[in-house]
Amino acid sequence: MRRNVIVLTAMVVALALMIAAGIMNYLERRSQRSALKGPQMTLVPDDGTAAAGAGSPAMADETADDANTTPLNGKPAPNFTLEDLNGKKVSLASFKGRPLVVDFWATWCAPCKVEIPWFEKLHDQYAGQGLEILGVSADDLDKDDPAKMFTEKRDIADFATKMHMNYPILIDAEAVEDLYKLDAFPTTFFIDRTGKIVASTVGLTPRDVIEADIKKAIGAGASS
Amino acid sequence: MRRLRSALGFVCLLAAALTSIAQKLPWQSSDSSNPNSSQQVRYLYPQQVTLQAGKSQTVDLHFRIENGLHINSHTPLQKSLIRTQLMVAEPQGVNISAVDFPPGSDYAFPADPTQKLSVYSGEFVLKMHITPQSGDHLVQASLRYQACDMHTCFPPRNAPMAVDVIAH
Repeated sequence: MRRNVIVLTAMVVALALMIAAGIMNYLERRSQRSALKGPQMTLVPDDGTAAAGAGSPAMADETADDANTTPLNGKPAPNFTLEDLNGKKVSLASFKGRPLVVDFWATWCAPCKVEIPWFEKLHDQYAGQGLEILGVSADDLDKDDPAKMFTEKRDIADFATKMHMNYPILIDAEAVEDLYKLDAFPTTFFIDRTGKIVASTVGLTPRDVIEADIKKAIGAGASS
Repeated sequence: MRRLRSALGFVCLLAAALTSIAQKLPWQSSDSSNPNSSQQVRYLYPQQVTLQAGKSQTVDLHFRIENGLHINSHTPLQKSLIRTQLMVAEPQGVNISAVDFPPGSDYAFPADPTQKLSVYSGEFVLKMHITPQSGDHLVQASLRYQACDMHTCFPPRNAPMAVDVIAH
């Protein structure tokens, strides 16, 4: 008799646990379903004035955030050798002794297109202080298909011409994406004369922040 | 001996109950264990459709873009931008004649309102025109897209999807 009670109790406990599991599963699925029905992204109205007014403060706030930089700040810039659009090999080490900006961009990256004209102007503005800028394209290259790769290189060159890019353009950022921890574009590194990364930015960054970072690169390591 | 058997039965039942609490069912898998967790666009549904054999029909494929991001539409306004495409592996016994993409919404980056873009955001639906032969077919495809948020763009990616087509 006593044994039957124990077995019955055990079965009731197990059954209760199973019901509890079912309820927990149901509640979790319901919360996941309601999360899927959550608010969707709000687009900025395409009327020019409202868009500029609504977006600018948010951008300034975010660029001040640590999330918009990279873990390479303060470290020596990893060396690389990449080809330019004419097939000439260009090494980062060859720029040592000069302040340098390395901008990783892509033809499909709309925010990059906003920054590129700023780099062109800043390149001219600070050329007297030795500033060099390198643009490294992150566009895909079909290395196994020479004909396709030729077209892809030509598209990058056409884009650079259209954008009036007045600084060297290197290709195949993918080859250095691990070195520079690239996962979004634009990503820009500001390197001083000693080859140290003094600042970096990820995403569209206000022009005055870019200029301040350039000044940092020019100023830092100047006496060494 | 009987007591031992009862105790053993109880332990087994308890273990089964605890396992059912701890275990996550396939559709409840967390993002960290999901190989697609780096995707910014996910295929939502349907996972399975039942269609009439030998007849052209339309299946709505639902996708969702991560909050805060947008992707170029199938018809971006600039040549250099990467369009959203669906690459379908047509299995034996299934004919897919076309995939209709919705029109994009107008968008402009706040820092440059002159650069007009045509994008998808939130949830969007592709219409697949399909004629299956009788039987069970797995239609697999890959959505190629390139996502951006308001300040940053991410490299192009491919989101896998599959629909089990049952045709009678």
